[in-house]
Amino acid sequence: MTKSNQIAIEFKKVSKRYKLFRSDKHRFLSIFWKKVPYTEVYANQNLSFKIKRGESVAIMGKNGSGKSTMLKMIAGVVFPSSGEVVVNGRVSALLELTAGFDFEFSGRENVHLRGQIWGLDPAEVGELEQKVVEFADIGDYIDQPMRTYSSGMKARVGFAISAHISPEILVVDEALSVGDKVFREKCNDKIKEIMETDGVTVIFVTHSAGAAEEICERGIVLQKGRLVFDGLVNDAVDFYEGPRKPRTSRDEVLITEV
Amino acid sequence: MKRLKRYWSAVTQIAREHSEYRVQIGQLAWVDIIKTYRGSALGWMWAVIKPSVTIFVFWFAFSVGLRQGDPIQGYPFFLWLIAGLVPWFYMSEMITQGSRSLNRYDYLVTKIKFPVSTIPTFVSLSHFYVHLALVGFVIFLFVLFGFPLDIYYLQLPFYLLMNLFFFTAWALFASPLSAVSKDFANVVSSFVTAVFWMSGILWDVNRIEDPLLRHILMFNPVTFMATGYRNVFVYKQWFWEDRFALFAFGTMLVFMLLLALYTYQKLRRDIADVL
Repeated sequence: MTKSNQIAIEFKKVSKRYKLFRSDKHRFLSIFWKKVPYTEVYANQNLSFKIKRGESVAIMGKNGSGKSTMLKMIAGVVFPSSGEVVVNGRVSALLELTAGFDFEFSGRENVHLRGQIWGLDPAEVGELEQKVVEFADIGDYIDQPMRTYSSGMKARVGFAISAHISPEILVVDEALSVGDKVFREKCNDKIKEIMETDGVTVIFVTHSAGAAEEICERGIVLQKGRLVFDGLVNDAVDFYEGPRKPRTSRDEVLITEV
Repeated sequence: MKRLKRYWSAVTQIAREHSEYRVQIGQLAWVDIIKTYRGSALGWMWAVIKPSVTIFVFWFAFSVGLRQGDPIQGYPFFLWLIAGLVPWFYMSEMITQGSRSLNRYDYLVTKIKFPVSTIPTFVSLSHFYVHLALVGFVIFLFVLFGFPLDIYYLQLPFYLLMNLFFFTAWALFASPLSAVSKDFANVVSSFVTAVFWMSGILWDVNRIEDPLLRHILMFNPVTFMATGYRNVFVYKQWFWEDRFALFAFGTMLVFMLLLALYTYQKLRRDIADVL
């Protein structure tokens, strides 16, 4: 069996329900008492698909279609209410770059912290630190507590860490905010570099047909938590945007400024 | 039967997560200590100043104010006091901070893939390291006052481990509840003072005359721990000599472990949705 046949991500009839209670008090009581009333909202309903190693897949869907929940399940921080999510390989999610830090610590200390959490050995942590400090390029601020950082600086450190753990599965949100134009281009180059690495699986969340078609072979469209289309990216874009007019210009932008 | 299976899978999951992440648990315990004492001018000094002030206040109130500071079994009242107060410092920190551990590390729950069951453990360990330093200081004081180490110190590790074990289980029980409900965290904080005065820390549970009341009070794990540390330092009694106290504590430990398992298997998958 060759590597390209291996499954990177598999969703088996995955549904995610959020329980909405009238108040936190009700939520608390529900731990001990089953009869507390609540309403259920489905963020994902009966999702089934397989993504092979090395594939690049565009995920399209309007706000509230369940993209975020699905990505959080791939990242392993949210669990399905029913069904099963199988993820093989190290996931790097370029979604909320400013999240996942301890703001009491400096940028450098956060690199160490993250390295420890991922179970890297000291040599690997040192290597990661060097790469991140160089890439983020925020000067002396790297040794200041992160609570003093601007959002741009947080994003720089966040991107630098996520991009330098040699991910096997890369999750990128097109609407990623990373600051000024120069740094954005640097990030685009880095993302392309990772994508071109052999065997890296790419999940690309997008609203823009051009970027999706440029990067991905396959497209998945979500609507109200359900998978409504799964196929070639061009067909997925047609499905998502409706029949299109002849194209005038290609959208070259990978990451937009917010 | 199905429920039993769920509990068992929770047990194996917790055990697996702890063994896979044992290195990280040790490292994060240090990170937690740094996080606690960083950012204040006096830094590490607070780990000493806070308990010292409390000890002084109680010594002053009892010895000078209430004139109750007679030596106990030949040990100065002051030494008797700290032998019971030092374990309480760890316990009170665990009751409040332990139950907030998931809130304190919410980013490990909602943003990074990390085993949630180990978070209360490393927070507990971080407080335990500080506790070990204080216990070392207590031993030093006893020696300084002319009471050398003796055979009874051999049971100190037993009490230390029981203390760590019970209050780590408490944190595993309470922190998911605090994550779900702010009220719970507030209720816990407001009961700490009550727990302190209701437990045998400033009074000796063995001197309660009513046997029924005494036996009921022995079910309080805080009383067991405070009395236990004094068994080592002052009373010179082995932990198996008071069978009933040991039985009562064992019962409470099992009860706490079951409670912890209950909330953990119930809330594990929901915590990230609500934090």
